[in-house]
Amino acid sequence: MKMGFYFKLALTNIKKNYRFFIPRILTESGLLGCFFIIFTLAQDERLSKIRGGSYLPTIMGFGSVVISILSFILVLYANSFLMKQRKKEFGLYNVLGMEKKHVGRVLFSESLISSVSAIVLGVILGVVFYKLCSILICKLLEADIILGFYFLRSKNVILSALIFLMMDFITFIFNRISIARMKPVELLKSANVGEKEPKIKWVNLILGTICLGAGYFIAVTTKDPLAAINSFFLAVLLVIAGTYMLFVSGTVFVLKCLKKNKKYFYTKDHMPAVSGLLFRMKQNAVGLASIAILATGVLIMLSTTVSLYSGCSMALKKSHPEDLYLSTAYYENGEKIMVPDEVIIDIAKNAAKEHDLSIKSIVVQEYGGGIYTFADGKLVSGLMGEFTLDFSKLMEFAIITEDYYEKMCGKKLSLAENEIAYCPISIGKKTFTDKLVMDDIEFKITETLDSFPVTNTGGSIIKSGGIVVANEEVFEKLIKIQEEKNVNAPDVEHRVAICYEDRKAMFENGFAMEESIKASLEEYIERNGSCVRDYMINGVWMDKAEMNGMYGTFLFLGIILGFVCLFSTALIIYYKQISEGYEDRVRFQIMKKIGMSETEVKKTIGSQIILVFFLPLIVAGIHVVFASPILVRLMKILLLASDSLFFICLAITFAIFGVVYILIYTGTARTYYKIVK
Amino acid sequence: MSILDVQDIKKTYTTRFGGNQVKALKGVSFTVEEGEYVAIMGESGSGKTTLLNILAALDKATGGKVLLDGKELSGIKDRELAAFRRKNLGFVFQEFNLLDTFSIKDNILLPMVLNGGDLKDMSEKLEKIASALGISELLDKFPYEVSGGQKQRAAAARALITSPKIILADEPTGALDSQSSEDLLKVFEKINNGGQTILMVTHSVNAAAHAKRVLFIRDGVVFHQIYKGDNSEEQFYQKISETLTMLRTGGER
Repeated sequence: MKMGFYFKLALTNIKKNYRFFIPRILTESGLLGCFFIIFTLAQDERLSKIRGGSYLPTIMGFGSVVISILSFILVLYANSFLMKQRKKEFGLYNVLGMEKKHVGRVLFSESLISSVSAIVLGVILGVVFYKLCSILICKLLEADIILGFYFLRSKNVILSALIFLMMDFITFIFNRISIARMKPVELLKSANVGEKEPKIKWVNLILGTICLGAGYFIAVTTKDPLAAINSFFLAVLLVIAGTYMLFVSGTVFVLKCLKKNKKYFYTKDHMPAVSGLLFRMKQNAVGLASIAILATGVLIMLSTTVSLYSGCSMALKKSHPEDLYLSTAYYENGEKIMVPDEVIIDIAKNAAKEHDLSIKSIVVQEYGGGIYTFADGKLVSGLMGEFTLDFSKLMEFAIITEDYYEKMCGKKLSLAENEIAYCPISIGKKTFTDKLVMDDIEFKITETLDSFPVTNTGGSIIKSGGIVVANEEVFEKLIKIQEEKNVNAPDVEHRVAICYEDRKAMFENGFAMEESIKASLEEYIERNGSCVRDYMINGVWMDKAEMNGMYGTFLFLGIILGFVCLFSTALIIYYKQISEGYEDRVRFQIMKKIGMSETEVKKTIGSQIILVFFLPLIVAGIHVVFASPILVRLMKILLLASDSLFFICLAITFAIFGVVYILIYTGTARTYYKIVK
Repeated sequence: MSILDVQDIKKTYTTRFGGNQVKALKGVSFTVEEGEYVAIMGESGSGKTTLLNILAALDKATGGKVLLDGKELSGIKDRELAAFRRKNLGFVFQEFNLLDTFSIKDNILLPMVLNGGDLKDMSEKLEKIASALGISELLDKFPYEVSGGQKQRAAAARALITSPKIILADEPTGALDSQSSEDLLKVFEKINNGGQTILMVTHSVNAAAHAKRVLFIRDGVVFHQIYKGDNSEEQFYQKISETLTMLRTGGER
């Protein structure tokens, strides 16, 4: 027989089984499109050159690996489903006299046709949407949109196509092997083997409960952000395992209990539904657990990335209270000379004027301090126990003198040598009330201040506070111990801190202004005959560009991965609906014959389906709720602006996801009812 | 009064584009008295199944009327139809039509549950019927675990449990081996002796020979009928066979 014959047969098969093939092809092309986009973003050097774009190659490179793995799993899933539904068909071929090698050829032709069409469609999708995505990236990074086309790199197209072709080839090999192993009679029979009522799997039930409970416990109780990184992955694994085990056993357990309750079970509304659900759960538990996990994944990815990205400028305000910090020194004959504050202020003022920015405030900040470990009611310089970083025990203190405080705030404190004024910036108010022991020196707190003239840029993981000491001597004493014990301690900070009126304009012109400040300082230093210099120009725009770059890239990856998970969810739901439809058709007809009206049958089936498909969504919701404490702590490291922002983002993501889920459900339910009728 | 009164039932199928009309039933009339056991015989295409579907209220006749216990079937509203069928008719099918998600017990109980029966009442009835039909041991098994004959007895139990006015059986022995057929027919005889009215459509002369009366349908009309009367089963079998031969060879009444 010629190959053309097999192709014809394969084509008619695909047409006949369009309900299975079309979604498979569409999903595969969607995945390929996503992969192509992510993969090309990782390579596009025009994008990685823009400010904050340096994160693209690594994060997107990682993303393309994740997507290819997810795609492979999904392609295998779709394939296994397809094969299960078609076993009878292959058996028939065999009985009608086709040898297994001929069936193999038909299978090969089918794979080739569906694979090639998926790849062609996927590449088109990828190429079309790449431009859109690169514009989105530019928007996220707040850069100018790059015009022109980059994506038509044949290398990327070919590589993406090859990867998916490989996946399809591997699945074909799997299928070919399973066909070779099958006996024709089994092939014919396999679709209607009698089904046992599922039994409660006690081991799964107990283990699953333990895993889930442990996962939740870890997520809720882990307090230390750094430990949270490790325990988060442990919790994720535990919850995934628990979800699978409980979906398999817990649902059966609940339904069996309902069935045992005769009063409940033997009623018109409950009997058909509960029995139906018991069997449905047996076949669908794994699929439903997968949907629940994918849904949780989408929710977590989107809500975290969205909240990090959107909280960017809020977080910046916290970690970077003033917009620009300036201090410059130069060296003359090995001696360090600070550029006078007035000179720096002048230069900054001129630069602001030059770039149309008006200055809100200029202050000179002068403070010392560093990190202290808080234990047994005492503060000790440096990190106690060098390798265990317990953030909850660390505090960062800014120390200033009474003179400086008076200069800044205009209030005289009149402190004695052993007295301080204390400001609990982010330390709890009750931690220190009347005394404070710092490096074995006991201070009496005479006044608690509401605000502090300087804020050290510790970020939000470590609690910070400020104290005002009586004079230079006390100050020097404390700083000296800090310098000795704490390697990372900054010198005494002396800097000009500037705030600008219009933040938007500042972010736009900041970089240019920074350049002219640099040039002016350079000029000043050269005029003083030196060329060795030590700049500190720390503008909030630089941090913002970095944060935008990182979180924008994360957000984009989150969106794309969210799409991929959504595709997967849709495909699994769709295939579930179809397979259930074919099984329910028989039951539907029997029920009608023995005297149930169509509306009654529809009601019982409808209630089962709704429960089955919304259970994963509910489970995902519960997972996310339990995950949120640890997520909040993790994001503290990444400078999450506020907890409530995350919860708002989470609620919005959940609402949107819920709507999309319902749309997917109603769309596929239509196919289901078509099959059943 | 007769429990089932079929008056001049006609059924005409029209092909999709209204071109040809096929007359499946051309005016069938007969009555079934309470406690009777009637078999309807006829070749494939004679209109047996159409007739049964109309009697079961699954299909509507294009002419004539069917009275069940004095009530006209076509007068029942669509939304009441399912409940009416559940309460008044019992069905036994060739393919058993047991739900694979239910145990035998639950399959039997389903019609009662749908009627909103009382739990105690249900289990009493179930026990009685199950022991009468010899399936008490099987109640907790699932359909795939029992033989075809046992499945059909379970289906018969399901039909009986609502104490219907009439049981309609469509080729009940069609999918059974001879021993199981014999067992099932004995069950039918037993429940008929208990006063249950049965109407059975069948191909099998053997099955028909167990009935008290046999109606023969040919070309959409009742062609002939014979009573068992005082005949033994063998004699009745003989008579049915002869009638069938006559039908096939096209003899006139």
